[in-house]
Amino acid sequence: MFRYIVRRLLQMALAFFGTTLLVYAMMFAAQGDPIQALAGEKPVSASQRAVLTERYHLDKTGIDGFLYRYWDYVSNLMRGDFGTTLAGRSISDVLQAAWPFTIKLALMAISFVIVFGITAGVIAGIRRGSLFDTTTLLLTLVVIGIPVFVLGYIGQYLLTNKWRLFKPTANDGSLYSLLLPALVLGMLALATALRLTRTSVAENLRSDYVRTAKSKGLPQRRVIGVHVLRNSLIPVVTYLGITIGDLMSGAIVTERIFNVPGIGFNVAKGIQTEDGPLVVGIISLLVIVYLTSNLIVDVLYAVLDPRIRYE
Amino acid sequence: MTDIQIQLDRVADDAHLLDVRDLFIEFHTRDGIAKVINGVSYHLDAGEALAVLGESGSGKSVTAQAIMGILDIPPGKIVSGQICYNGRDLLSLPEKERRQVRGKEIAMVFQDALSALNPVFPVGWQISETLRHREGVARADALRRAVELMELVRIPAAKQRLRDYPHEFSGGMRQRVMIAMSLALSPKILIADEPTTALDVTVQAQVMDLLAELRRELHMAMILITHDLGVVADVADRIAVMYAGRIVEHADVHDLYAVQGHPYTKGLIDSIPRLDHKGQELATIQGLPPSLMDIPRGCPFHPRCPYRKDPICSTQVPTDQRLASGTRTSRCHFAKEVLDGTAA
Ligand SMILES: Nc1ncnc2c1ncn2[C@@H]1O[C@H](COP(=O)(O)OP(=O)(O)O)[C@@H](O)[C@H]1O
Ligand SMILES: [Mg+2]
Repeated sequence: MFRYIVRRLLQMALAFFGTTLLVYAMMFAAQGDPIQALAGEKPVSASQRAVLTERYHLDKTGIDGFLYRYWDYVSNLMRGDFGTTLAGRSISDVLQAAWPFTIKLALMAISFVIVFGITAGVIAGIRRGSLFDTTTLLLTLVVIGIPVFVLGYIGQYLLTNKWRLFKPTANDGSLYSLLLPALVLGMLALATALRLTRTSVAENLRSDYVRTAKSKGLPQRRVIGVHVLRNSLIPVVTYLGITIGDLMSGAIVTERIFNVPGIGFNVAKGIQTEDGPLVVGIISLLVIVYLTSNLIVDVLYAVLDPRIRYE
Repeated sequence: MTDIQIQLDRVADDAHLLDVRDLFIEFHTRDGIAKVINGVSYHLDAGEALAVLGESGSGKSVTAQAIMGILDIPPGKIVSGQICYNGRDLLSLPEKERRQVRGKEIAMVFQDALSALNPVFPVGWQISETLRHREGVARADALRRAVELMELVRIPAAKQRLRDYPHEFSGGMRQRVMIAMSLALSPKILIADEPTTALDVTVQAQVMDLLAELRRELHMAMILITHDLGVVADVADRIAVMYAGRIVEHADVHDLYAVQGHPYTKGLIDSIPRLDHKGQELATIQGLPPSLMDIPRGCPFHPRCPYRKDPICSTQVPTDQRLASGTRTSRCHFAKEVLDGTAA
């Protein structure tokens, strides 16, 4: 297990450099004159240009120059220095202001998935073919079939504009204001987790060990609540881990729709304003979140299922 | 009915520890109704071992599941019959009381321990589960008891293996874990459903010997389900032979090995490979077991029977014929002739 984790960490480092390099390249390849972009509409004097060229190592050209600047950026990143946005704000400050929104949003979304998705999935799995099962099947198919932004705008229109249950934007960060965005963000994962749980429970209910547990004279609630559930949740927990990464990228759309000033909102803004440092900084961070949550999932998988052994 | 009659019935009930009477079970499936159990009756006395023998699909497991109350209902349906344990009909007990019988009065060992044990819990946890949750034994004490049970079924280094998972055991050891688990609440009856079928030949004999020893040591009654006549002789006192959901012959083990009172049993015995008949072609029973959706009229065995006499065998369902010694029965129109060897 230890060797496995070390190997995975090395793979993570590779993946990290790979993705940041790619994003860095894409973001800066699109730009014409970075110094002019930095200055915006204002004219840039020759001496200013020289200073900036010096500071950002723009004198080196070609692939060498690019790699040099990338390395400079990444080593700053690893010291926790994200640099500044084109507008001159420290990116660390931007992130610090944005994170709480996104984390709250993601936690709420994942709570919806766990509380509603898994519970409904377990019930549907136990009562296969019942009205409840058929209804949830239909609803989840609808949710899975509709893109998040459509769902988001419809939800926003109905619940805020028409029925006025929520405010259309959620920039005060209160839990209530984040309720609707979190629901929209978690909807797809909720539907998927529900279906996954249902299938898994239904499958496990047919297993031989369920018959054994019954023959031991255990009450039904223990047979299902302990024996079946413990087995059924293995794939579901794994899915939830992977979902954390998806929620991060889902946040880009959801936060934009509801104007939640979180991480996703800032990425969207950064892309629109061609703010290279901001976009690359946030994406790098998301990559780390994604890779870490994947590693945790894999380790968790081995903990949950004793038959899995990593070498 | 008078009081005296009721009392007489009660006495008759009490005569056997377990008494399965005229059991009929169907499975309602998409393809139709399968008549899986068609009037099975057998009984078991305290401390006694009964072997239930029959080709696969003859309804041995379904009967056992009905006794345990773990039948899948639906698709299964108990149409009629009684399963009396200590004089009480289990089929008419409410689920709550029925549950108390499972594991504690009657326990069961399944065929494939790898799938019958829960893959994600350590064996010590699984063996001690009923002690903790039904008897209220403290965790540490229950685990100590689990070690004793594992030693009882002769698992080496039992204490070290307490935290191991089922997949970490060999097939034979895993079946021993299963047996230890079934013994946790000291049941009066152990039903072993093909306990060695999934094992290597060399291990089969060891597990079978263990079951025989345990039965003697613990004074348990046992129902040993098998399709292999070879393994039961040393373990069982009596044999009930099943065919298409009926007991077609019932006799003491040694009587049955000596002579058979039903053509089907005769076919089974003749198809056991024997050293003294080396070189001879092995006898087999012609044809296939009937479809339970469409059981032949008359004697269900008649299409495969070398002794059949039409029209009686193909039109009349044979009833139990009592044969010479005490409890021996056969469901064949020509039981006596088959037994005497005068049937043709
Ligand atoms: N859950 C079930 N659903 C449908 N049919 C079943 C079920 N369980 C058993 N059967 C049928 O009952 C018949 C007897 O099965 P079983 O008692 O398992 O035979 P065996 O004598 O080999 O143990 C078989 O034909 C089987 O297909
Ligand atoms: Mg069977």
